[in-house]
Amino acid sequence: MSLQQTLKDLLEASLTPSPTVILFGLAFCLLAPILLHFLYSTATPYTTLPSVLLLGPPGAGKTALTTLFERGPLDLPLAKTHTSQVPSSIELSINSDDPSSASYKTNLDEAGATAKKFLLVDTPGHPKLRASSLAHLNSAEPTIKSSLVSDGGAKSKIKAVVFMVDAAALADGDALPSTAEYLYDVLLTLQKRFHSRNGSRAPASMPVLVAANKLDLFTALPAALVKSNLEAELGRIRAARSKGLLDSGVGQDDLAAGEEGDWLGGDGSEKFSFAQMMEFDVDVDVIGGSVTGDGPGAEKWWKWIGERV
Amino acid sequence: MLDTFEILTTSGVVLWSRTYAAVSPSVVNNFINDIFIEEKSSVAGAKNGASAAENPPYKHDQHTLRWTFEKELGIIFVAVYRSLLHISWIDQLVDNIRAIFVGLYRDELTKPNTTIVECLTFDQYFDQQLRELEQAGGKSDTRALKSEVLSEDTGDEPPSPPNNRGQQALRGVSPGSSPNVSRPGTPSASHLLVAKAGPGAKLSRRARKMQNTTSAPASSGDEGPARKAKAKPVKRGRKWDADGLADEDDGVQLDYSVPTLTSDSEAEPGARPGAVEEVDASTWGSQTKGKFVLRDLGDEVNSILADADAKKNAATKTDAPSGLVGTGLSAIGGLFRNVVGGKVLTKQDLDKAMKGMEEHLLKKNVAREAAIRLCEGVEKELVGVKTGSFESINARIQKAMEASLTKMLTPTSSLDLLREIDAITSPSATSLRKARPYVMSIVGVNGVGKSTNLSKICFFLLQNKYKVLIAAGDTFRSGAVEQLAVHVRNLKELTAREGGQVELYQKGYGKDAATVAKDAVAYAAQEGFNVVLIDTAGRRHNDQRLMSSLEKFAKFAQPDKILMVGEALVGTDSVAQARNFNAAFGSGRSLDGFIISKCDTVGDMVGTLVSIVHATNVPVLFVGVGQHYSDLRNFSVKWAVEKLLSSA
Ligand SMILES: Nc1nc2c(ncn2[C@@H]2O[C@H](COP(=O)(O)OP(=O)(O)OP(=O)(O)O)[C@@H](O)[C@H]2O)c(=O)[nH]1
Ligand SMILES: [Mg+2]
Repeated sequence: MSLQQTLKDLLEASLTPSPTVILFGLAFCLLAPILLHFLYSTATPYTTLPSVLLLGPPGAGKTALTTLFERGPLDLPLAKTHTSQVPSSIELSINSDDPSSASYKTNLDEAGATAKKFLLVDTPGHPKLRASSLAHLNSAEPTIKSSLVSDGGAKSKIKAVVFMVDAAALADGDALPSTAEYLYDVLLTLQKRFHSRNGSRAPASMPVLVAANKLDLFTALPAALVKSNLEAELGRIRAARSKGLLDSGVGQDDLAAGEEGDWLGGDGSEKFSFAQMMEFDVDVDVIGGSVTGDGPGAEKWWKWIGERV
Repeated sequence: MLDTFEILTTSGVVLWSRTYAAVSPSVVNNFINDIFIEEKSSVAGAKNGASAAENPPYKHDQHTLRWTFEKELGIIFVAVYRSLLHISWIDQLVDNIRAIFVGLYRDELTKPNTTIVECLTFDQYFDQQLRELEQAGGKSDTRALKSEVLSEDTGDEPPSPPNNRGQQALRGVSPGSSPNVSRPGTPSASHLLVAKAGPGAKLSRRARKMQNTTSAPASSGDEGPARKAKAKPVKRGRKWDADGLADEDDGVQLDYSVPTLTSDSEAEPGARPGAVEEVDASTWGSQTKGKFVLRDLGDEVNSILADADAKKNAATKTDAPSGLVGTGLSAIGGLFRNVVGGKVLTKQDLDKAMKGMEEHLLKKNVAREAAIRLCEGVEKELVGVKTGSFESINARIQKAMEASLTKMLTPTSSLDLLREIDAITSPSATSLRKARPYVMSIVGVNGVGKSTNLSKICFFLLQNKYKVLIAAGDTFRSGAVEQLAVHVRNLKELTAREGGQVELYQKGYGKDAATVAKDAVAYAAQEGFNVVLIDTAGRRHNDQRLMSSLEKFAKFAQPDKILMVGEALVGTDSVAQARNFNAAFGSGRSLDGFIISKCDTVGDMVGTLVSIVHATNVPVLFVGVGQHYSDLRNFSVKWAVEKLLSSA
């Protein structure tokens, strides 16, 4: 009896045009879609781990490195790899107490040390598939979807770029132009962030590691030579592009305006060196190592990454 | 026999593999490049999850690859064997392994942010399948039989108890429920073995031996009972029963006395699925442990395969609505997600939007064939994909189409013309090549602007201080040589200050063009020219006689680059032109690139270049954008994609 009464009262109250009812109704109408949206989108995990982007020409050993870092702490053997077609990300953790002495092999879950988690994003190196990897670096604050498998998921900030090269292939000479071309595009994209920034805030600095892989092979070039060869080739590409044909879509009048647009590096000096990228807050290091075989291993790269995430 | 079997993800990680004979990784890498990345295979929809039998075999370097692709999870299953061999059951193996692998590890495969899938135990499943199919190899009708029984299994499982024998045996391992399995007697088994002593039997024995010797190092870590059971497969008697499952018996079987005898009489007609025999629970207990595992495995595999089959059948049927309230709610949810995003796209959702995209591409002058293929590709890619937050279907399609166009138009190796010329004309000291002039020739139908574009390239080279020889290879159309001479005179004037040198090489009309070209190259080498640009006579692409002379031309002049000039204009049969020209140079040679002329006259309707690239897989290198010598541009993929997708 009393229940019926209360219900009736409620109904009556909700139909009288009082400010509370109107407010309540308004709030419901406005909030419902938002609430529903969150209801539907809770399936995707919201993580905001930083990420490290792994780029490089095909066959450099990017996927091999990814599997090494992932399987190292678990004592699993390295997986075999083939040409990648899609990017993939893996979650890694590094000893945040002391990144400089960390090893990728220590299992942090067991060691009990405080771990810092990050994502390592492996990308395909095939020229046809590069555009989307480069697109991530376009904005002033480069981000990437933290979950590549399904669309959705939070954006993860890119903290560093590892550009892997095959030092053994570079020794032949044929691989040098194509490798350098890709690196040129990467560095130029990073440099252009300066022009695309909005407001006065300077874009985040972006450290780049050129990882000279496969130093276990005796034919491989040492890291110092990899560096100088790449610098020389980048300089050559820079010169060639400046006197090459214009790209379609670029008119003659655009040319005058964006003259320095495609010129990699700060000053107009004849020779290119990675140091010239400092002006754009792009800090390039070249470190040698190897994923397989009895080479120098991958610890140095791990340390480099650890210091930057 | 089989060289290797690999299960790998699209991100390039091999999840599981079995190797019998080492195969260079480049075989699989080339396969991925050609079929998946460059999509050279002309078969439409090679990338959707068709069964291995429908996918064309890929041949490379004496190896044949049979494969299937699980699109949803991004996993490729590929079997590699010597092309000399003919393995009739290979498609079946690939398909079955796919069904089993996906059935077993689906959960692990969908985990984000990891590439590790614990599948060491998969070894035994693979062995089981391999053995089973090898057994069946002798019989020609195995596949038909098998699929028939499988559908039977799933179709009328509940009503007819004898038919679900397999399932029962699997679940009934607990002695209490005493499963009834047709237990073939030894005599009948041996009888069967003799009966099928065909080439298949021989083959399978050899294969089994090989497997015994090589599987040990390949499969590490599964020292379980299954392993023990595997240890002596050669000795095992074997019977092929009706549901395509090999019944495994070891020597223990010989101990059967009475039951075996009775079963013998029953098992003779008992190839029929109904044959059931009562076996004492104690007899079961006396059997080796490995036996249990094996039987278990066979049945498990069978039920997984049946499951997969059932799912496929169910998928083809239209799913019935699950009650009024259910449909109502899901409909509202669907509408809502349309706006907010987070919707899983279905074919129905996409169909209408894809039609719109197709229309859009057609409006941009993309050939119908190419537009349809592109849309199909995008649709296949998107079915089952979840849209992002606040992302509409159209936006998602737009994004996918952009990626797919970019992928198609981006050349596999980018062209740096100046570097290439330098490499030929002044080779580095370490390479053993001799310096020679760089030869480039230009082909195309009449009136598309061959000579104009040749002059534009020449102008560019002259600006970069090269010494260029232009060879008048059009010995056919009157006035052609004079036209070139005018161009050369203009170019000389224009670039005199910049230090370029250009000369015309001509032998008048009527001479064989191939010979003229050859002489021009020889002359250039002698006189120290850096680059030879050869103009050719315009020819209709369906003129057999003139087209066939191109092959000789390519042989004589040995051009480093053969470029074809095509028009961007609406209404030309540019696709057929491109195809025919691409095929005209003989088997060993094709076009190296296109120059698309008159791009300034078509505005946004640059669809022609998509059609051409789609038809030939040859990249567009340059576009002509005007009447001046400087109006030549490097082709920018981004520019083209923007124009194609712009909605104005
Ligand atoms: N000798 C040697 N080989 C290596 C090393 N690292 C990787 N490899 C081999 O290089 C090959 C290519 O490695 P991947 O990791 O697949 O190459 P990737 O960079 O991912 O190539 P894409 O996916 O095509 O871009 C594999 O066969 C590796 O085994 C190394 O340090 N030394
Ligand atoms: Mg890879």
